Amino acid sequence: MTGYDTAGSIQNTYAAANSEFGTNPNFWIRYFTPSPAADLFNDDALAESQGAWDSGGPYVGCISAPRQSRLSGSAAEGQADAQAFAAAMLAAYHAVGPIQLPANGRLYCWLDQEYSTSLSSNYWNAWASYLANYDFAGLGTFPLYPCLYCNPNAPYPSCSTIAKAHGINAPAAIWSSEPEPCGDLSGPSVWDPQECTTVPTKLWQFGEQGVCNYSANVDLDLGGPGFTTAHYCFYVQSRP
Amino acid sequence: MRSRRREKAVRSLGPSSPGGDGFRLNRREVLAGSIGAGALVALPDMGIGGLSGFRPGKSSQATLRYVFLYGTPGPEPGGSLVATTFPASPAAPPPAPIPVAVNLAAAPVLSPNQAVTALSTVDMVPGGAKITLTLLDATSATVAQQGSVTVPGVPADANVLVTPVFAPGSAIVSLVLAITMPAGKRMVRKADPGSGSLATQWSTTWVSHHALAYFDQRSGAITGPFHLSGEPSLALTTAAANSSDLVLWTTREPQADDPADLRAHATRSRVSVFPLGSGTARLSVSAPSPWPGGEPVITLPSGDVARMVRGRQVQVCSARTGEVTELGIPAFGQVRAKPSAVTMQARSDGTVFMTKPGAGVAVIADPAEEFRTTARIQFPLPATPLGAPWTKAVLSPAGDTCYVLGPATTGGLSAYDVASGKMAGSYSDGSQYAGLYQLPSGALLAVRPENPRLAFFSAGLSPLGTADTNLDVSAVY
Repeated sequence: MTGYDTAGSIQNTYAAANSEFGTNPNFWIRYFTPSPAADLFNDDALAESQGAWDSGGPYVGCISAPRQSRLSGSAAEGQADAQAFAAAMLAAYHAVGPIQLPANGRLYCWLDQEYSTSLSSNYWNAWASYLANYDFAGLGTFPLYPCLYCNPNAPYPSCSTIAKAHGINAPAAIWSSEPEPCGDLSGPSVWDPQECTTVPTKLWQFGEQGVCNYSANVDLDLGGPGFTTAHYCFYVQSRP
Repeated sequence: MRSRRREKAVRSLGPSSPGGDGFRLNRREVLAGSIGAGALVALPDMGIGGLSGFRPGKSSQATLRYVFLYGTPGPEPGGSLVATTFPASPAAPPPAPIPVAVNLAAAPVLSPNQAVTALSTVDMVPGGAKITLTLLDATSATVAQQGSVTVPGVPADANVLVTPVFAPGSAIVSLVLAITMPAGKRMVRKADPGSGSLATQWSTTWVSHHALAYFDQRSGAITGPFHLSGEPSLALTTAAANSSDLVLWTTREPQADDPADLRAHATRSRVSVFPLGSGTARLSVSAPSPWPGGEPVITLPSGDVARMVRGRQVQVCSARTGEVTELGIPAFGQVRAKPSAVTMQARSDGTVFMTKPGAGVAVIADPAEEFRTTARIQFPLPATPLGAPWTKAVLSPAGDTCYVLGPATTGGLSAYDVASGKMAGSYSDGSQYAGLYQLPSGALLAVRPENPRLAFFSAGLSPLGTADTNLDVSAVY
């Protein structure tokens, strides 16, 4: 199952993307606060959700891309970033009537760790713990699952950091940014993302706009065998 | 994992070196002491005078300044800062990095005049949290001033996020404290992501509020803390100060049981203006999105505050009224699939230097003319336009040359003439650097993932030497 991620708004992106790739995505992954250099889903969740519905891919996954030096930082920084991320997702959930949590009760929440960024244990553990313990919308179901987007083979602490995390602090999944064989929404013929040793890679960014010369403002992502990415995203069940 | 041959830790390239400037580095002793329990590496800047017009043999003593490296050392769990020096000669032994601080409460902050770097640490003491602000002198890499304040009633398992805010034209350093305390604990059942089986665990709920404190560099005294209303708030804030006021963005934390009519308003941030030294805002108004989330922010010569949002717009907040005006930066208008690192730096002539390496562009804009672009430099995208460090393009002290990380295909560094926008030079030995810093002397510091992690270049892009550090460098001060 393939889909898009983008730092632009869905409503301003989907038409060009669907035109370029000739089909609809199965899901979107969008940026939430704190992501200081992106258009934020929670800034206009209604229009974004309308865009997701209109795109034919009414599932929205959630990622946060804080200022990257913060990922080397303290527990206080990790907790503050996770708090804002959770609040942004809640605000979007409140703002859009037909947006639903995943039926399986697991909303994967991705932290964006870029290639040259170091992830400290203090930051990760506080970030992950806050999300995993967040009583989303007072439902009592604790549906947020911390996950990590990273380049597993980068010479910076990422896999080694999460390998030291235990229990609810361990990420539920890795979204690997490498390699990038490119291609279209049919995806690569072989599932071959880079992996951390302790946490399975469930999602693979196999096509990055800049590397693959896509015109549309999207990267292309593929869920792993047996993993249906859309089932771990917000679901827009009708046009808002 | 990639592996490379470990090179000599520190190397000074003398007159015989290809492309060398004949520059001879002087060794200085670095730190007389240390702060905290760990590592802060300070590097001496190199006083090489006129840069491209550099003459060998010129003394570097007059303008020597240390540079602090912030990042994560391998075995350490959190943000740290370390210091090292250059050898007296190419034959001299490499300097050992000197630990200064680990487990900092937040990233350091450099003063507007680059004279001091502020570090904040938090120690839980009986009855509260002790917040310590340390100002490191850049010329000696030693503690210039230090002050502490204890916030009573903060439990040991709370988190305190400290943001020091320098005020141009004032001796007051504001401390914005975000205090996040446990509000409840209960047993919950949650599905394991691997097996799907339900596991029982303790779950803690947290509530944040803010407090202000003020450090006076003249007296060394701290006033406060002044606890602010508005709980529950998000811990993240945006803050900047002018010579009289602290301008602070805060956001109420949305609650699960917010009534529908409140939800729309609850998602708005507020901008409040506090007279320096005061815990009472003289105004507080609703602010347009986005919520505070690490956006670059600077104080303008007018005293107003500018923050770059969404990587393509600037919001100018009037310190007098709190009114926010949003202005587009045309060169940054293109949206891409990935966000880009963005930086914004106030210049001494009143203009602002802004970079967006993910779009391959840097501009100089004039805030006095609604951020009209006065110069634009276009460059190929570097290999890591979003990862740390976020500084990928810098301006020379004279403002006539823009240095950027080289293209993803070749690495190295490139220089562009600001007036014409044309490339003026480049250097590459194939190294892919992740961050680039302009040192006050005019030399350049580039950082990369593996040792030697630090590479120094002249203004003419001639290699000056390299140095090792155990830090994965995420920022330089």
